[in-house]
Amino acid sequence: MSNILFDVGYEHFLVLAAVLFLIGVGGVLVRRNALIILMSVELMLNAANMTVLTFARMWGDISGHTFALMVIAVAAAEASVGLAIVVAVFRGRRNVDVDRLTTLRH
Amino acid sequence: MMTRLLILITSAAVALGAAGALAPRLAAAQVQLQPAQPAAGQPQPAQVQPAQPGLQNPTLQPAPGERAPRVTVLKRAPHSDRIESNGKGMALLFWAFALVTIGGALFVVTRRNLIAAVMGMVGSFMGIAAVYMMLYASFLSVIQMLVYAGAIMVLFVFVIMILNRPEDEPVAPSGRAGQILGGAAMLYLVGRLVMTLINVQAPESALAPPAPVTVPGTAIQHEWGSVKAVGTDLFGPGLFPFEAISILLLVAVVGAIAIARPLHEDPEPEGDAGAAP
Amino acid sequence: MDISIKFWGLPLLAWIVLLPTIGATANLVFGRWLSRGAVYTIAIAAVAAAAGIAAYLVFGPLLTAFKQAPATAVIDQPVYTWIEVGKLKLDLVFRLDTLSAVMILIVTFVGLLIHIYSTGYMASDPRYAAFFGYLNLFMAAMLVLVLAGNMPVMFIGWEGVGLCSFLLIGFWYENESYATAGRKAFVVNRIGDFSFLLGMFLLFWATKDYTAGSNALDFRELAGNSQIQSTYVTSLWGGERLAAWAGIFLFIGACGKSAQIPLFVWLPDAMAGPTPVSALIHAATMVTAGVYMVVRLSFLYASSTTALAVVAAIGLVTSLAAAFMAFAQTDLKKVLAYSTVSQLGFMFVAAGTGNWVAAIFHLGTHAFFKACLFLGAGSVMHAMEHAGSHAPGDIMQMGGLRKRLPITRATFMVSCLAIAGIFPFAGFFSKDEILGGAWSVEPPGWPWWTGKVFWAGLLIAALGTAFYMWRLYFLVFGGEARSKPAGEAHESPPAMTGPLIVLAFLATIAGFIGLPHLKGVHPPAITHGLATWLEPVVSNEWNDPPPKEAKIAGGPESRLASDLAKKAPDAPCCCVPGDQAPGASAEGATTAKQCAQKPGAMCALSPTKHCVLEETSDGTTYLLMLIAFSIGGLGILLAWLFYARGPSKTVDRLVAGPLGPVYEASKHKLWFDEVYDQIIVRPFKIAARGLFEIVDRFVIDTVAVNGTAFVIGLFGRIARWVQNGQVQRYLVGIVIGAALVFLVAQWEHKATFEYEIDPSGNTVRLVADPGGGLSTLGKVEWDLDSDGRIDAVGPEITARRGDVGTVTMWIEDPISRKRISVTRVVIEKTPDSPEGSK
Repeated sequence: MSNILFDVGYEHFLVLAAVLFLIGVGGVLVRRNALIILMSVELMLNAANMTVLTFARMWGDISGHTFALMVIAVAAAEASVGLAIVVAVFRGRRNVDVDRLTTLRH
Repeated sequence: MMTRLLILITSAAVALGAAGALAPRLAAAQVQLQPAQPAAGQPQPAQVQPAQPGLQNPTLQPAPGERAPRVTVLKRAPHSDRIESNGKGMALLFWAFALVTIGGALFVVTRRNLIAAVMGMVGSFMGIAAVYMMLYASFLSVIQMLVYAGAIMVLFVFVIMILNRPEDEPVAPSGRAGQILGGAAMLYLVGRLVMTLINVQAPESALAPPAPVTVPGTAIQHEWGSVKAVGTDLFGPGLFPFEAISILLLVAVVGAIAIARPLHEDPEPEGDAGAAP
Repeated sequence: MDISIKFWGLPLLAWIVLLPTIGATANLVFGRWLSRGAVYTIAIAAVAAAAGIAAYLVFGPLLTAFKQAPATAVIDQPVYTWIEVGKLKLDLVFRLDTLSAVMILIVTFVGLLIHIYSTGYMASDPRYAAFFGYLNLFMAAMLVLVLAGNMPVMFIGWEGVGLCSFLLIGFWYENESYATAGRKAFVVNRIGDFSFLLGMFLLFWATKDYTAGSNALDFRELAGNSQIQSTYVTSLWGGERLAAWAGIFLFIGACGKSAQIPLFVWLPDAMAGPTPVSALIHAATMVTAGVYMVVRLSFLYASSTTALAVVAAIGLVTSLAAAFMAFAQTDLKKVLAYSTVSQLGFMFVAAGTGNWVAAIFHLGTHAFFKACLFLGAGSVMHAMEHAGSHAPGDIMQMGGLRKRLPITRATFMVSCLAIAGIFPFAGFFSKDEILGGAWSVEPPGWPWWTGKVFWAGLLIAALGTAFYMWRLYFLVFGGEARSKPAGEAHESPPAMTGPLIVLAFLATIAGFIGLPHLKGVHPPAITHGLATWLEPVVSNEWNDPPPKEAKIAGGPESRLASDLAKKAPDAPCCCVPGDQAPGASAEGATTAKQCAQKPGAMCALSPTKHCVLEETSDGTTYLLMLIAFSIGGLGILLAWLFYARGPSKTVDRLVAGPLGPVYEASKHKLWFDEVYDQIIVRPFKIAARGLFEIVDRFVIDTVAVNGTAFVIGLFGRIARWVQNGQVQRYLVGIVIGAALVFLVAQWEHKATFEYEIDPSGNTVRLVADPGGGLSTLGKVEWDLDSDGRIDAVGPEITARRGDVGTVTMWIEDPISRKRISVTRVVIEKTPDSPEGSK
């Protein structure tokens, strides 16, 4: 037990990333506000980043950092477009509750 | 209000502390590497010498019943753990930052107030940046702070201000069956992932600090994870993704504008919730 | 004899059946577009062609073969293999032997006459084409029944005639009571059919081993195969033989078809159908199917006196009861219906006393005069209807019609004379044959007076027959007209009177082919024609197992009468035509000596065997004829006394007074219908209603139909949960799927351990792997050299090479508390390698 606590190895980072990822998944599944959902998606992307960087450190491969940089850039693009959509939706409906976005049902 | 302030201050303090803890190591690393540059002809990566004696090769005959022991080194030299991510101090820092990260994430997922959620997110990002530092990903750590916590979160705050409407109820009222099923699946995934990842055995060589990155075709080496190292890879093998990303960003900008602008250009008065064109 | 006469690829016998079928199909399908002329042309042509082919076959090849060798007078024409399953092989085979020859001639000829009659009788009916279609269909079914070569094919015809009976009785189905009568006929027939099936199954069960590979239940097999013959006499149940049980079941089926007690109740109701139907089906053909079947299975009935006794007893009771019921009837056709039932009883008594020839003889003569009676009744009713009567069948409103309908009256009178048994009409001879046979029969094992009882009963029934038939005649044709329509009726058209005349003529002369055997008189052979003709196909000897002491003194049993005659000339011998000389005639020989005088004849197997029909002396024969004739005359006399001038006051007085209950019993048909209603119909209706409520309403409607809908709705609701338009719900699906992927991918991964031998060869590293699923890394113990003791503990150990042999690892899962052991050979320990030092 003390080993896990005091000897920090790669698995710690990986587990941290996994937990972060799953919290993000939980947020996406459970919350109704579109903005919170987007933020949870950002959490998931960060968790993925952390995993990539851990493995890059493990194998000494710097291209993992490049990958992570790409991920950050993509996340930024996606966040902006997503927020634009949220704004557009809000303009029409005066709320951003995803539970009410069911017009595709039938 | 007070909650938000508290979170902000705590995360800022933690981040600064982390930066402070790690900065001497970065400086030392920079200083260390420079004498190695003239030895360009040697393709072999130069070890960071002061680290060598600290390392002990792990024994091949441990006492039965014990895990393969990690290399444990206690150095009393100043800035003792500036190079290795080992030791109890590092462990403590790791746990602290991990706590901040997880705590911020939980904030995001559970808070009803959007601004609180954003603050939690920011704190989480700062924790993540600190963890990146521990992984020798210094460049990315700073980028994380700048782009994520600095730009993306600001964007979120803007939009929140536009919407200006608290959420009715944080949790989606889905059916009991879905909750139970989804909850069970999530628990299982958590358990499974954790158990799998816990058993990841790193190769022996990965316990040491990473080797520097060589610019291909030359003998120039940069510290692993630094700006120059990442740049070497980004503008070398990663050139195509780089260009593609730039196009992507262009598309995203155009798209965001196209989506978010009003449908008809009527000069209506600012009666609605101030939707920005 | 196998005559392969084919016409367009089908055997000629099949065409006899096929032509009326084609006619029926044409009329039923296209009838509404055909003119009346076309309809009856098709129908009559079909039947006439069938009659023509029948006549050709009978008087051509069959007669030729008969003249050469009577036993070979059979035309056997299989059409195709119908069923072939396991031990059951059935062909659709038509067989024309002498018995079926008689039947098809009667059926086609009388049928033809009735078709011609119907063109006049049904001329104004809107469903003309359907009527003729059904008539043709009936002819086809009856011909299948008669021409069948095995029992299942006969059953096809059996059921077919039942169906046509239903269709034709209920022909005017707009009237509810007529439709009910049709249903009643069908249901009662069905009960008989069920019993027929039981009998057939019983026969098949008993004989299937002996007919494997060839036709099952084929009449020739059943009659001729000696192994099968011996199974008939085996004891089955209750002390009775197989033949007894099979015979009784089959006879109950015949009761249903031929309207004997207790299944006769449909026949009087069946008078609701048009009169030609009554004439054809319920006088001449369908009701005689039962008699035909019994005679066809004569070999079976000759194997069991019990069965014969049952047949005869029921026949006798029926004839008496039906005669009784006919006394008080006031409907013209109903009287004739009861008369039919009674005469059928006569035929069954004949069959039941082993007098097969007499049964068929009476069948034929009855067909003629009863058909004539019915057609005459139809003519009378037709005339009354046209004269404006509202109850054309009510004889109380008739009277004096002899002046108005002379031809009808003449033919009716001839037929009444025939049925009363007056010389020289046909009924006299046939009835006398029956009476004579009943008198002289002595079934082995039964008291000597058995036959006499039957004879006496039949005599009373004959008296009753004469009485009520002539009562009918006098009330209809005698006296003066009692109502206006009766006074204004006029004769029927020639289409109707023509057949009447033909049938009356036949009723007059048909008796002369079956004269009794008189030793002193030797008329031309044609007068014994029927007996001779039918001899090869009916069983003339009792089928008894040979008694143990059946030995002729002096040697093995010899079938040649000449041998026997030398040893015991007066030994009783049932003389039959021998196999070596099938053309021999064995008539008239009862002792071995007499039989030896007949060339080629043989004595039947056991000397103690009796011929079924014993010989009677000439004197007895004449006496019996005289008694029968006088009884008939007495009946006519009584009827004349009472009814000559119309309904008699004497009778009315008697009926109102002392004979009242008797009259009521007769009028209410002995309350058979009422009793059946209470005992059978009501409980059945209650049971049906109960079943409807339970099975139909509850099980099928509520549970099955609505329940299925409910379950489907339930599943639909569950399935709808998956797709509600909310993306988050879909993401939950993704998460669940991801969890499942992890689960499935890891489940099969069993716990194991890996070992790595260090390149230097000194050490071995062993790493435990807990496996997939939900297991975790718990406590790990190692046994390195299979000595049973734990050598090491821990998930990962390094050991010296010398210590390691066959390694067993135990891993305990903290969650499921299971202890799993994995054994692998890490280093082979050869026998001469040194033991590891510890």
